[in-house]
Amino acid sequence: MPDIESFSPRGMFHEGWTAEVNDYAIVCGWAIKGKLFIVGDVSGGIFAFEGDTGKIIWEKEKTHSGGLLAMSIHPEGEIFATSGQDGNIQIYNCHEGKLIKTLDLGKAWVEHLKWSNDGLFLAVASSKKVYIFNEIGDEKWVSDDHPSTVSAIKWSNKNELATACYGRVTFFDIENNKTNQKLEWKGSLVSMELSPDGDIVACGSQDNSVHFWRRSTGMDAEMTGYPGKPSHLSFDESGKLLATSGSERITVWSFIGDGPEGTIPGELFHHTEPISSLAFSNKGMLVASGSRDGSVVASFLKKDGNGDPVGAAFAGDLVGAISWRPDDCALAAVNAKGVVNVWKFKVRTNLSSEGFK
Amino acid sequence: MRIKDKVPVTILTGFLGSGKTTLLNRILSEEHGKRIAVIENEYGEVGIDQGLVINADEEVFEMSNGCICCTVRGDLIRVLGNLMKRRDKFDYVLVETTGLADPGPVAQTFFIDEEISSEFTLDGIVTLVDAAHIDQQLGRSDESSEQVAFADVLVLNKTDLVSGDALDSLESRLRDMNRMTRIIRAENAKVPIETVLNLSAFDLDQILKRRPTFLEPEYPFEWTGVYDLDAGKYELMLEEGPDPEMSVVALANQGESEEELKDGAESSVRLYAEKSKSLEPGNTIPFGEHIILKLEEKGDKSFILDIEKGSKIGLYTQHTAEEFNMKIIKIDKNNPKEIPFKIERFWQAEHEHDDEVTSIAIERFGDVDPEKLNTWLGRLLSEKGVDIFRTKGFISYSGNPQRIVFQGVHMLFTAQPDKEWGNEPRRNQLVFIGRNLDEKEMREGFEKCLI
Repeated sequence: MPDIESFSPRGMFHEGWTAEVNDYAIVCGWAIKGKLFIVGDVSGGIFAFEGDTGKIIWEKEKTHSGGLLAMSIHPEGEIFATSGQDGNIQIYNCHEGKLIKTLDLGKAWVEHLKWSNDGLFLAVASSKKVYIFNEIGDEKWVSDDHPSTVSAIKWSNKNELATACYGRVTFFDIENNKTNQKLEWKGSLVSMELSPDGDIVACGSQDNSVHFWRRSTGMDAEMTGYPGKPSHLSFDESGKLLATSGSERITVWSFIGDGPEGTIPGELFHHTEPISSLAFSNKGMLVASGSRDGSVVASFLKKDGNGDPVGAAFAGDLVGAISWRPDDCALAAVNAKGVVNVWKFKVRTNLSSEGFK
Repeated sequence: MRIKDKVPVTILTGFLGSGKTTLLNRILSEEHGKRIAVIENEYGEVGIDQGLVINADEEVFEMSNGCICCTVRGDLIRVLGNLMKRRDKFDYVLVETTGLADPGPVAQTFFIDEEISSEFTLDGIVTLVDAAHIDQQLGRSDESSEQVAFADVLVLNKTDLVSGDALDSLESRLRDMNRMTRIIRAENAKVPIETVLNLSAFDLDQILKRRPTFLEPEYPFEWTGVYDLDAGKYELMLEEGPDPEMSVVALANQGESEEELKDGAESSVRLYAEKSKSLEPGNTIPFGEHIILKLEEKGDKSFILDIEKGSKIGLYTQHTAEEFNMKIIKIDKNNPKEIPFKIERFWQAEHEHDDEVTSIAIERFGDVDPEKLNTWLGRLLSEKGVDIFRTKGFISYSGNPQRIVFQGVHMLFTAQPDKEWGNEPRRNQLVFIGRNLDEKEMREGFEKCLI
C-alpha cells in the first residue's frame, strides 16, 4: 500500500447486491475467503449468502432463544461461532450451516466472542467471566470474576487475551494461567481495540474519552472532548492510525512520530447522525463508517489522520454493522430493517483499477 | 424512521419485602394492551410467563472525574442498548431495582448516556414502602430515604397491617420528605395501573397541565370555618390568643363539601402568597384578600363583616378558632346572636421537619432576573448537588413571555420555555428535595434573584 499514497485515489461504491434478513441485522462477516457472507439478526436468524451474487445459500431461524448477541468467524473461514441471550455458544460449519457444537454457560448473556488469530482458541465473555475453548469446543481455561461485566475482549497474541471492564484492562496468559498485566483506570470502559502488534491498547470510556496505554513503555494518555461515549474504535493494519467515534464525527489519532499525545487529531465530518459502525480496510488507510442515518462512507486517510471521502452510499436505515471483504474489493453494510447491501468497491490508481491487491 | 416516540421507562424501587415483585406481577398480568419489557435485578422473581424479562446485576459505574452526577448504571446501558434493537417487540420498559439501589444513578443514566436518552425516556420513579416497617428503615439506611426522596409516586403498601392513625402520621412524615410525590395507599400492592405507568413525571409540561401546582399542599392556615350568613352586619370577635396578629382570607360563596373546601384552600394558598393588608379592630374585612388582623390590644377585639346578600362564607385562618375563641355575632341591638359555623376543617400546617431528607418549596409572585438566577442556582447545585436529589419548578423570567420549566437530578439540570403566561399572574415555584438543606439560606438566595 505505500505506493498509493502519492496519488489521490478516487474510489466509489459500485452496484453489488442486496438481500434481506428477518430482523434488525446486528452482525456480519465474510467467510470462505470472501465467497460467503454471513449475517445474523437480533432475534437469532443466521443467513449465508453467496459473496458475489447475494444468492441465499442457507438460513437458520431462532438459533438463540431471547436473541443473538455476537458472532465470530474463524480466521480460516470454514467455521464460525455465535452467542446469545440464552447463555449458549454455537459453532457452525460455514458451508452448510450445520451446527457442530453447542456450549451452555448458564443463564447470563454471552455478549462477546472472538477466535484467536491462529484460530486455535475461542474466547468468550459472559457476565464477569471469560472462558477459552479450543476449536472443537472443549473448555481450556476460565478466568476469575472481573470487577464488573466484561465489556470487550481482544486477542493480543496467540496465547494472550485482553479483557476490558469497569476500571481496568487485564491481559491473561491463557496457556500458563496467569495474569500478565493489569492496566487500571477509574472509569467504565465500553470499547477496546489493540494495535495489530498488541502494544497499544485503546479504550472508549463512558465519560466521553478515549484512554490508551502503550504496554512496552507503560505510558498512558487520555483523549477527552468527545461529544458522546466512543463506542466505536478501529486500528488500521499498520497500527499507525486509530479511528474513534462517539458521535457523528470521526476522530482519527495518528501514532506516527511522537503522536498522538500533543497532536491535533484528524476529523471527518461525513454523517448527520452518530456513527454506528466503523472499520478500517484489511489493507491500507481506508476507513469505512456507517451511521444511524443510514449513510455509509469510505474515507481515504493521510498519515496525520485527516482524509477525504472516496465513496458514499445510502444503506436505507441505521447501519448495524459493516464489513470489508478480505480483498477490500467489496464493502457490506447491514441495517436495522434487516437489509443487506454489498457494494463492489473500486479505487482508481495508477497501479490498479481493481482495488488494493 | 428517525422521528419516533421514545420508549417510556418506569423505575420500581423499594426495600426488600415492600411488595415490588407483587406489583410487578400485577402490572404484567393486567390487560393494559402494553407489551412490557422487564429488567429485573438479580433477585427478581417475575412469576408471569412474559416475553421479555432480562436479569441484570446492578452495576454502578462512577466516572474518573469523581462526579456523583455522572454515575450511571452500566447494566442498564448494556441491556437497554440491546433492547433498543428490538423496539418492535415492546412498547414499555419496567426496571426493578433491589432495595439497596440508589435511585440517583438509575435516573441519571437516562439523562447522561446519549445512546439511551435518544431512544428511551424516564417516565417515573415508583417507590414502594412497607407501611409496617418503613419507620424503622428510614432511620437505619440512607437508601430508603433516598428512594422516598426520588419517588414520583409512593405506594404505601400493606396498609392493612397498620392502624389508621399510624398511617396518617407515616404519610405526613413521607410527605415532609418529598412534597412532589403522589402517595397511594395499597393493600397487597393493589394499585390502579394508571397511577404507576405513563406518569410523564419528567415531562414538567405534562405534569403542570394535570396539576397546575405540582406540590402537594402544605397550608399556611390551620383552620377553615364555613358560616351561613344572611344579609346584614356581623362582628368577628376574638379574645386574647397566642399571637399578636393573625392572617385571614375570607371567601364568599364557600361550599361545604370537601371538594369545595379544597378549592377554597387552593385559592387561599394563592392569596396568602400575596401582599397582606393589615386591619385594626373595628375595620371591615374585605373578601378575597390576604389580611392580617392586628390583635395587640388587650381584651376582646372585633372586626366587621358586611354581608350584602345572604351567602355562605369561608374563613381561612392562620390559627384555629379555638385558640382565640373566635366567634361571629350578628349585630342587632335587640338581639345580638352568635352564628355557629356550619362546618369546620383543619389543615396540615407548615411545620418543623425531623428527617434529614426534606423538601423545600419556594413560591413567589413576580419576575426573576435570569442571570442572577443562573448564578445562584449554578452555585447552589455545584456546592450542594450531592445532597439535592431532585429539583423541579417553573420560573417567570423578566421580559420572557413564556414560562420556564426546569428540573434536575443532583447537578444535572435542564430548563426550557413552556407555555405563554398570557393573563395568568406571573409567579415562581421551586421545589428542592434533599438532605440537610439550609432552607433559610435557600429562600434568601432566591429572594435576591427577584426583580
